[in-house]
Amino acid sequence: MSLTQIRPAPPAPEQRSASISKSKLWWHRFDTKAVPYLLIAPFFVLFAIFGLFPLIYNAVVSLRHWRLDDPKKTGWAGFENYTKVFADDVFWNALGNTFGIFILSTVPQLVLALIIANLLNHKLRFTTFWRVAVLLPYVTPVAASTLLFAMFFQRDSGMANWFLSMVGFGQEEPLNWRAEKWSSWIAIATMVNWKWIGYNALLYLSAMQAIPKDVYEAAAVDGAGPQRQLWQITVPMIQPVLIFTVVLSTIGGLQLFNEPMLFDENPALASGGSDGQWQTIAQLIYQVGWRNGNLGSAAAMSWILFLIILVVAGINALLTKRLGGGR
Amino acid sequence: MQTFGRRALGVTAAGLAAALAISGCSGEKLAGNGGDSGGGEGQITLKVNYFGDMGQQMLKERFEKANPNIKITLNSAEFNAHHEDLQKKLVAGSGAADVVAVDEGFMVKFKAQGDQFVNLLDHGLGSAESRYLPWKWKNSLTADGKQIGMGTDVGGLAMCYRTDLFKAAGLPTDRDQVSALWPTWDKFIATGQTYTKASGKKFIDSGTNLFNPVLGQQPVGFYDEKDQLQMEGGPKVAFDVSMKAIEAGISANLVSFQPGWNQGFNADKFAVLACPAWMLGHIQQTAPGTKGKWDIAAIPGGGGNWGGSWWTIPAQTKNAAAAAKFIEFATAPEQQIEVFKTVGNLPSQPALYKDQAVLDFKHPFMSNAPTGQIFAKTAESLKPQYLGVKHGKTREDVEKVITQVGEGKVKPGEAWPKAVEAAQKVASS
Repeated sequence: MSLTQIRPAPPAPEQRSASISKSKLWWHRFDTKAVPYLLIAPFFVLFAIFGLFPLIYNAVVSLRHWRLDDPKKTGWAGFENYTKVFADDVFWNALGNTFGIFILSTVPQLVLALIIANLLNHKLRFTTFWRVAVLLPYVTPVAASTLLFAMFFQRDSGMANWFLSMVGFGQEEPLNWRAEKWSSWIAIATMVNWKWIGYNALLYLSAMQAIPKDVYEAAAVDGAGPQRQLWQITVPMIQPVLIFTVVLSTIGGLQLFNEPMLFDENPALASGGSDGQWQTIAQLIYQVGWRNGNLGSAAAMSWILFLIILVVAGINALLTKRLGGGR
Repeated sequence: MQTFGRRALGVTAAGLAAALAISGCSGEKLAGNGGDSGGGEGQITLKVNYFGDMGQQMLKERFEKANPNIKITLNSAEFNAHHEDLQKKLVAGSGAADVVAVDEGFMVKFKAQGDQFVNLLDHGLGSAESRYLPWKWKNSLTADGKQIGMGTDVGGLAMCYRTDLFKAAGLPTDRDQVSALWPTWDKFIATGQTYTKASGKKFIDSGTNLFNPVLGQQPVGFYDEKDQLQMEGGPKVAFDVSMKAIEAGISANLVSFQPGWNQGFNADKFAVLACPAWMLGHIQQTAPGTKGKWDIAAIPGGGGNWGGSWWTIPAQTKNAAAAAKFIEFATAPEQQIEVFKTVGNLPSQPALYKDQAVLDFKHPFMSNAPTGQIFAKTAESLKPQYLGVKHGKTREDVEKVITQVGEGKVKPGEAWPKAVEAAQKVASS
């Protein structure tokens, strides 16, 4: 305000406008100060209703007894749900499965996406075709693709075993993909990778295209090969996108539900195989909450999963930052 | 300020779009689910939830024809999920269908919550008592004398076998000769080994589908009448038979009622299958191409029961009268005979076993086997087993152990302690 007074501008119009209408001024201030907040409010309102409230309510439920099959078991439980979860082998088994599948899916997924993006970044024929093609798996509904994969990994008539038999494996006894941890993990990780590689590749590609060409030219003049260019120019320069995809696939990977669920011979059981060999935490939460009807315990697990995701996503983001900046 | 405003606008637009998309979705869903009140005036829509094949399509058509003001919507679900869903809706106090099928494995559990169901005696269905097998009537009667379900079918037990596969393996195909092959389960497994040796194929579908019928033949199942777990009795006998069969290498080790198992019907993965009457419907549905290749023989060990259901009405329904009308219609002798003929489910009303239509009936899908005579004989001589409150869940978890043995994860000799542990976990939960 004091600045305007110093200015030697003609004072007449300013006085006039002030006297014309106070309400207009009020509207102007409202427009610049409050409206932006009002306009972004819908997101936060929706987040409060569908994000924040469930989170808090979940925490409350996790401290209570709440049984769907027995309405008489109710009341505060303190941390009993949590201690019971930590003492349960089933939980640790599911946690191990979740991390196993997470690593098997995330690492190849992001590395392959990077390689594909790098390939797409070169001059190719039918550029658009390739770019659309890699995104197709992402567009396919998970339920549809997973059901197809479940058939693909069928013991007796699955294509996976057919391929294996062509290269000489499983002639006597076909591989039962669902029987063991390692095989079921690979099968599920394959579904996840298939779906998300293209999506991540396109994200990387768009970031790569923002890198100025002269950086590469300078590097080429200095004698850096394509391999070195990828790791020492491309990767560091698309680091923000890298962190974004790492965090995103961490969240997705640790919440894995659809794929393991529909991979089961009998999806309604939510048991992740005959011995829980591929049961993920999200599946366990569903099983405990909605099948066994123990909502308190399921809520406790949800909160534990939430905290785990926060920690792991944080660590991954830090590591990625190191990776990009360090080299 | 200027740039901030513009960016905020963009974000809001996206937010609004998302909000619209969300509300759009839910609106659509509401419209899709709005079957509660039905269309016009006086028009009632009854929701009927069932599992497997209970002749529902025929019942719907006939009932709607006889009652133009009532519309039936059918909804089928996986066996376990179906019963869990009902339990959830009962506790929630809303959302259950108007008419819900309940299997014998879950009946005890729901009977204990008798006030959650409509007492069918209040709707004049008490007169049907004389038509029913006494134990079938009793099994859905609560401790305080309310009748919560009208029996649809009983399982009975027999063995379905593939005549073409038997012939190819040099085994007899006539149903009496086949029955003579296996008076006991040991002989049955020996026959299986002969078959597997001759054909190079597996004999039975899975260990669990031996476990269930053998368990059904035992005087005491998982739980005694005091609801105490009794694993060392009947369950041990049944478990040992299934282990022996898997060890003998005659099991295809498919997970029953799942896609791989269904494919197995069409791909000749097994030649024999324990057959309660309701299994006939499943075979016809899954493998229509095998018509005429099946026949039915007696089950080793003789008799026994596996499965059988009731129609119930959750008390939360707003259409109790119409629902009762449907149940009365569905369990009337004419419809029961029709279900028997089209699907195969054996009525739980003994008078029908002597009905000429049932006695003379030859099942075209099963090589014209006289299914009426075969199953009626097993049902009449049946001594029903008490099924505990937690029977359903116990069975599911013990079956999982058998599946693990089939997958080669657990050795047959080491499986029993695991099964006991699994059952105890359920019993104490």
